[in-house]
Amino acid sequence: MAHPTRIEPSVLHKLAMHAPESGNRLWTGIREKSMMTLNSTAFPNKKIEEWKFTDLKLISRTPFVRTGQAETIPAQNIEKYFIPESDRSRLVFINGIFQEGYSSIGGLGKGVTVGNLSAYARNKIVQAYLNKLVNYENDLFTAYNGLMFEDGAFIHLEPGARAEAPIQILNLYTDSEKPFIANPRILIVADTDSDATVIEEHIGLSENVYMTIPVCEVKVKQRAHIHHVRIQRDGQNAIHMSRPIAYVEKNSEYHSYTITLGAKLSRNEPRVIQEDEEVNFTMDGLVLIDGEQVADTHSLMDHRFSHANSHQLHKVVVNGSAHSIFNGKIFVRRDAQKIDSFQENRNLLLSADGLVNTKPQLEIFADDVLCSHGATIGQLDPEEVFYLQSRGMTEEKAKEVLTYAFALETIENVKVDSVHKLLIDEVYRYTRANSKPKKVLV
Amino acid sequence: MLELKNLHAEVEGEGIEILKGVNLKVSKGEIHAIMGPNGSGKSTLSKVVAGHPHYEVTKGDILYNGESILEMDPDERAHAGIFLAFQYPVEVPGVTNTTLLRESYNTIAASRGREELDPLEFDDYIKEKLSLVEMNPDFLERSVNTGFSGGEKKRNEIFQMAVLQPTLSLLDETDSGLDIDALRIVSDGINKLHGDHDAIVLITHYQRLLNYIIPDHVHVMINGRIVKTGGKELALELEEKGYDWLESLETVNGEAK
Repeated sequence: MAHPTRIEPSVLHKLAMHAPESGNRLWTGIREKSMMTLNSTAFPNKKIEEWKFTDLKLISRTPFVRTGQAETIPAQNIEKYFIPESDRSRLVFINGIFQEGYSSIGGLGKGVTVGNLSAYARNKIVQAYLNKLVNYENDLFTAYNGLMFEDGAFIHLEPGARAEAPIQILNLYTDSEKPFIANPRILIVADTDSDATVIEEHIGLSENVYMTIPVCEVKVKQRAHIHHVRIQRDGQNAIHMSRPIAYVEKNSEYHSYTITLGAKLSRNEPRVIQEDEEVNFTMDGLVLIDGEQVADTHSLMDHRFSHANSHQLHKVVVNGSAHSIFNGKIFVRRDAQKIDSFQENRNLLLSADGLVNTKPQLEIFADDVLCSHGATIGQLDPEEVFYLQSRGMTEEKAKEVLTYAFALETIENVKVDSVHKLLIDEVYRYTRANSKPKKVLV
Repeated sequence: MLELKNLHAEVEGEGIEILKGVNLKVSKGEIHAIMGPNGSGKSTLSKVVAGHPHYEVTKGDILYNGESILEMDPDERAHAGIFLAFQYPVEVPGVTNTTLLRESYNTIAASRGREELDPLEFDDYIKEKLSLVEMNPDFLERSVNTGFSGGEKKRNEIFQMAVLQPTLSLLDETDSGLDIDALRIVSDGINKLHGDHDAIVLITHYQRLLNYIIPDHVHVMINGRIVKTGGKELALELEEKGYDWLESLETVNGEAK
């Protein structure tokens, strides 16, 4: 529990407190609720266990302004970020603002609704779920988003509906004169027996400072399947604080794959909450960082009922003086028997100055469960490097191949061809750039 | 082709000397067997020749085709035609056999002035080599050694040798972990690969392998030195008498030097 202490409201606080009023009642309700959190929550610091390893000075010291005052520079050539498979199932947001002209939503077949939230503000599903699924105790960032968001992506699958193509939610962040905050939102409601693949992307177009606070709510009803790929390629000076949460009902499946490549500071807090028996979910992650990047993943897999299969493979490669933090909570509640849960965090440290903090956190109150977990931190195995060298590869090439192979495992399950290829290219680009350990210039 | 001159080597940074003055001369077209008890330095010898960074040569020299290779990296030695079949081949998840071999083949080919092969040409080329060790083509698309049985890994090493066409092959206990059928297949493969222009150094505990691959010379290594050299009949003698009778020889030699 964070204690509300008397602190000077930061720039961020002030911006959130004085966010422009919204025209619709749903938004107003969310703002009121968020304001309560804002007023009762202190800004996190390293004395709080959950923030022990992650310094937020970068946020508290940045003079953020509203997007409208940031003197943003219009985005160019954004078509190159479009996924060909999502040619007619694409939503584009720039700095959190919906771009109707770039979006295309005609191609998804019967029973699939895709659009921007503000256009669906009176929709029954939006009314029933928006902000209702957000469950992060004492979290200022969800409150900031609640106070400041203007729009977001909305996906609704009616019972039995199947999205015929992957749905791309493309969040772009433009260059700007001043640092700004974007507050993207996503609401996905998959009704019974429905099925969709969602590709959520965050891409920074320049090297400017901005913060994005994506809040994503997912409801997977009985027998529905959601495949959720999240790719974070924010700019090198960006801050990314994401809060994706999914609720899984009986016989449903939710598989998420989060790839973290960008941002100077990121804090990803994925959560999956089991709502009934017989569910199957995945929360895999791949983090490739370098330079002075800090990438923090605090995840929660909450098993509340019997018969669940859950899987979390979180792989991290660290170079330069980058810093990775992983805290993986697995809760198995008292009545949740026959749980088969797997968690593994593997860290590959390429440089002497890199830092990895990892903490698997299992809290198991049931007695008939199978929960395996492991965390390793290591360098490339010299025997493997020598083996490849003895086959003619240079040391550099051998390290590149081994790093590539290490990272590849986590993206194998991304089934959309062009996205899979994009990720392979990204992994390749990273390993090419990082096959030599980097010394930090003092 | 290969000449070891009073070769001393120790574990890098630990000061533990493992090779204590090895002398050996291997010529084109020859097969040499190095035998000896556990811990005598046989495997280390092969790794040192291949350039393993874990070991440091403190004295003596390794000449390959008349020139010292001490300053060469392992990949440069591979380019020059040296091949080490590992006692414990390393698993490389995520990298397929084909990928590794094409990469290896083409870098080695480039550095030795041979023509590189495009993927289609390479495909035909390796299929032909597969039959040499009776390996299933499925192996090509599997990750290098990942989930392979001990025998499959060893066979894969000889398959790589077939593909890369080295001039000097160091085979480190290639026979261990092979059942009798696999041993025959692997030996046949090695025999077919061997010719007048290359040399093979077999490192083995057992005489068994030498029934299939007939060595020109047999060396006994004990405590970091070659203490006895003979013809193929020496292997049979070792099989019968063990190494004990040679231990004393080592001491005498040691003091004499």
